Amino acid sequence: MAALGIGGLLLLILFVVFVVTLVLAIRHRLAVRIAMRNVRRGKVRTALLVAGLLIGTTIISGSLIVGDTVGSLITHYSYLGAGYVDESITGTAPSGGPLYFSYSVYNETVNRTAGYDRISGLAPMIVDLGSVYDRTTGVPETNLNLIGVNGNQSTQLGPFVAQNGSSLEGPTTGAFLDQQTASAINASVGDTLVVYGHQALTLTVQAIVEPNVRGAFITAGLAPGDVWVSLAAAQYLENESGDINYIAITNVGSQAQGAASSGAVGSYLNSTLAGLLSSQGLVVGTPLETSLTQASNSGSDLATIFLVLGLFSIIAGALLIVGIFVMLAEERKGEMGMLRAIGLNRRDLVYTYYFEGVVYAAGSALAGIFVGVAAGYFLVYLAGFILRNDGLPANAIVQSFTVTGQSLIVAYVAGFLLTVATVVVASRRASRLNIVRAIRDIPEPPPALRVYTWLAVLGGVFAAIGALVYAATYHGTSNGSEPILGGALVILGAGLVAARFLKNRPVFTASGLALVVWTGTERLHTLLFGSSHTGGIFVLFTEGIFLVGGALMIVLFNADLLARGLRGLLGARGTASPVLRVGLDYPTRQPTRTAVSLTIFSLVVFTMVATAGYGSTLQGSLASEVASQSGGYTFFGYSQNPIPEIWNDIHSNATLAPEFTNAGTVATGTAEVYVPGYAKNPYQDSVYAPPTNQSGPSSFYDTEAFPFLSTINGTGAAATFQLVASDPNDAVVDANYDASTGSLAGSSAGGHPILTVGTTIRVTSLSGSASANVTVVGILKQSIIPGVWLNSATATALGYSVQNGYFLTVAPGISATTAAQDLKRAFFADGLVVVDIEAVLASSIGTTQGFIGLLEIFVGLGLAVGIAAMGILALRAVVERRRDIGMLRATGFTQGMVLRSFLLEYSYVTLVGIAIGASLALLVVYNSSISPVASSAGITNFVAPWLTVVEIVVVAYGLVLIAIAGPSLRAARLAPAEAVRVTE
Amino acid sequence: MSESVVEGRDVWKTYGTGETAVNALRGLNLQIRRGEILAVMGPSGCGKTTFLNCFSGLDDISKGQVLVEGTDIHAMPDDRKSEYRARRTGFVFQSYNLLPILTAEENVEMPLLIAGRGAKEARSAAREILTRMGLGERLKHRPSELSGGQQQRVSLARALVARPAIVWADEPTGNLDAEGSHEVTELLRSLNQQFQQTMVVVTHDAGVAAACDRTLRMRDGQFET
Repeated sequence: MAALGIGGLLLLILFVVFVVTLVLAIRHRLAVRIAMRNVRRGKVRTALLVAGLLIGTTIISGSLIVGDTVGSLITHYSYLGAGYVDESITGTAPSGGPLYFSYSVYNETVNRTAGYDRISGLAPMIVDLGSVYDRTTGVPETNLNLIGVNGNQSTQLGPFVAQNGSSLEGPTTGAFLDQQTASAINASVGDTLVVYGHQALTLTVQAIVEPNVRGAFITAGLAPGDVWVSLAAAQYLENESGDINYIAITNVGSQAQGAASSGAVGSYLNSTLAGLLSSQGLVVGTPLETSLTQASNSGSDLATIFLVLGLFSIIAGALLIVGIFVMLAEERKGEMGMLRAIGLNRRDLVYTYYFEGVVYAAGSALAGIFVGVAAGYFLVYLAGFILRNDGLPANAIVQSFTVTGQSLIVAYVAGFLLTVATVVVASRRASRLNIVRAIRDIPEPPPALRVYTWLAVLGGVFAAIGALVYAATYHGTSNGSEPILGGALVILGAGLVAARFLKNRPVFTASGLALVVWTGTERLHTLLFGSSHTGGIFVLFTEGIFLVGGALMIVLFNADLLARGLRGLLGARGTASPVLRVGLDYPTRQPTRTAVSLTIFSLVVFTMVATAGYGSTLQGSLASEVASQSGGYTFFGYSQNPIPEIWNDIHSNATLAPEFTNAGTVATGTAEVYVPGYAKNPYQDSVYAPPTNQSGPSSFYDTEAFPFLSTINGTGAAATFQLVASDPNDAVVDANYDASTGSLAGSSAGGHPILTVGTTIRVTSLSGSASANVTVVGILKQSIIPGVWLNSATATALGYSVQNGYFLTVAPGISATTAAQDLKRAFFADGLVVVDIEAVLASSIGTTQGFIGLLEIFVGLGLAVGIAAMGILALRAVVERRRDIGMLRATGFTQGMVLRSFLLEYSYVTLVGIAIGASLALLVVYNSSISPVASSAGITNFVAPWLTVVEIVVVAYGLVLIAIAGPSLRAARLAPAEAVRVTE
Repeated sequence: MSESVVEGRDVWKTYGTGETAVNALRGLNLQIRRGEILAVMGPSGCGKTTFLNCFSGLDDISKGQVLVEGTDIHAMPDDRKSEYRARRTGFVFQSYNLLPILTAEENVEMPLLIAGRGAKEARSAAREILTRMGLGERLKHRPSELSGGQQQRVSLARALVARPAIVWADEPTGNLDAEGSHEVTELLRSLNQQFQQTMVVVTHDAGVAAACDRTLRMRDGQFET
């Protein structure tokens, strides 16, 4: 089955449906003829049906296409960034930078792999960070990839391509710049360039190279740029004579073929070079294959988010289908009754609908994938627009627009099957009509007791399954959707059982209330599931469905009370009174139809408002997020060369002195962290050790303001850091170590280790030569500077004494951008990199918000279902109610009163649906803001998106008014004499 | 002679145009006296229902004048016509035309609400008239829960509850059996005597016509002389 794939499986199901339909068609030819006649007899109605039915396929195909495009985009950059480097041999130095090793390792690797036919070439390289200064233009740039490679040793990696199109083997006497770097420093070929590593070297710009698979190595053509020099020049710049830090390995064949064989080659290298690698502290990586896997996963993850959110619209679409077919059945009731009276059996009647439905499903699914492609393109275009400032070249996203055959097949078959399944359910209901009642147009009686008995049995099954699901998943769950689903099934099941013995109104009102309370009370979830349960897209879906379901049960089973209350509240006099009566009583007393419309609107508005709510809440959390992540500092910086006296250096610089109020240093490095109970010990993480001997405003321990998620014995934040400063056995860790964040990162699958305060962890230097046991006395709220914060003496003992990390605070009123530029310029030769903490957070939240905006538009597609539902219902109502309208007109209703009663009826349904959807969506977002994992997800303040809610209400209601305007006017203009005579 | 409440002068109703034009009413002249029950009979397609629709103001006429209580009803704008119907007329139809979503009492109170009466007053009047018509036990029933005869009685109650000057009835017994038909005819007669309302009854039923004060016969859009 796995080999078949989802596309193959769906095609197989489609084939089975086709064969079954064909056999049924041969055996029930009369039903086929009636069905075909029904399809042909109303072209406008058929067009409306197909339009309503294609929504599901559109949403599925649109979601998959977005996934395809993102996958394709990342794949494109994966190929560019990895080039022909299928495997790499690298190591990490204790400082966290690249590990340099002897050139002889390269020679040894070449010798040992000489006979292996899957490798076509190996290249010795240096890949490190560097800075450049273009003396010709006077423009510097830091934090670039400095790559040393010999052209004649790396021909298997492909040629560089110069701007004039000529092929180049590699840098010799000068430097190659990629377009990013050249653009950043306004460089041209021939410019004099000072390149900085650990020491400086003056070269000329030998070429500016195109971002092909060779020239876009590592960066994929994006920022930061590459500077290519010869291996010897790189060794000089990094002061690593005779050493390299990177062996690039190219497999035989194209990039795709190379990536495909990467697993086998990697295993081969690991076994062939085992002793050599371990003795040098080196590992074999598979950059291209890893990158391609991530691309595939990213596309798939994104498609899942779109699909799950789209599920609300798909359900709304399915309900629309049910609504349409129920209305079709009502419209044809008399005719169906006659067919039954003259001998057509019940089964044939079902088949009549089935065949008709299959025709609509086939047509609408086909139309749906085309509309889905258009919708997908629209979304991709919008994504390109929204993310235009996020470092990607203009049009990069739109140019990656991809539609795979598999996506089209999956969308078509899924849309087709969804429609057919819905049609089968709807047609079974239609076929159950009583012949006499159908011919005489008498309403069906309430369900018999045996129906309630069956429902009670079904309820028992629901409750049992729900109880099992709850019991199996509730304890300490990280995915709240499972126990919530279990509990909701128990409530629903209990309601169905109780309805067998008690009246519907109290039973289903109580069930609805219970569902709303159960799914909508976050504190209850925390109490029952523990503090590590998280939300995520599946919780949004589960809560959304059951909250909306519960609210609808309350409203529908008390619709008469609601209508009476509204009439009383409005206290209408004069002509408004009969208009209110008619306008509110039609939706109240046609519960099935009203339920369909309300559900559609509630679900669609729920997703729209929830999506907007997450966006506004994230934005609203920015200020407190900045405060908790930054510790009061504006910048976090690091440099290639340590700047231990950065505060004094700033103070003595005329430009910088007024711009900064504080600057402190911190020793940094990379270590192995052993956490008790963690499945994949050791975990490699950064370590930080602020020195205690700095004075004045530059002392970290005097000026930091990092808040904590938890501290030992509830110690205050400043006191907790003082514990670290004074006790070599104490440490604090970032928020990723907290259970709430750790579970988000997937600690159960061996992601980030989690711990509680008081835990003793072991920190070991990467070389393994030194280690220390420290007790975690606090877990920070921040995770933007991730790692373990050690006492200075402990860090020094482990080998981390180089102070090349910095915390800086910009003076009030000074532009952070200006201050960062001045700072980088002043410490350019040291390779200082400055991270603007607020800008990083704002950018991250901005991107998230852009994505949320995209989702808003996507879920807004579901609004089309609601509008279509209202339009179709209103059209149908005019036909159905001609006689009623005629009678009302005869009794004195004016045209205006008819129009007002129609508008009131559909406004009532629409606005109640909007109110349910919007209020419950805000509740869900509020819940996420008070959940235990809220702060680690960047949500600290609940901010209701009132403006967006108003926009959604106005747009949704406005579109409904437009959709029902035509039918309502038609109803108002009906000639009373004609209308009273109509008999259907 | 009693005062004329409805007067038709050379009333024509033509459907369609040109060669396909059909004259449903051909220059009808008629005076209906206040308080009388007038029966209009004739074969199917002779124009009975068209007559009722045109003289009651439900449908427009092609030529002529219909004066109701001295006012040319077809010269009124649509809203005035609606107001006139709400205050001065009641209608009874063969297929009852009750609003299926409303209960018996809600159907009956509707004309009063339309005429601007208060909800309590309307509810009380609806209950009173329905009780008098023997439907006191059926106030909360929907039309689908009533028999044909009961539905027609509700329909009659709706037509009469606002005490209109004129009641127009189109085949009020057309869907009823002999017993139901007799019951409705008696009800019309007794209500007419009680409230002195003018009633115009279009019918096929000779028994109904016999109970009326006057009977007119129609053929090809004209009254037979």
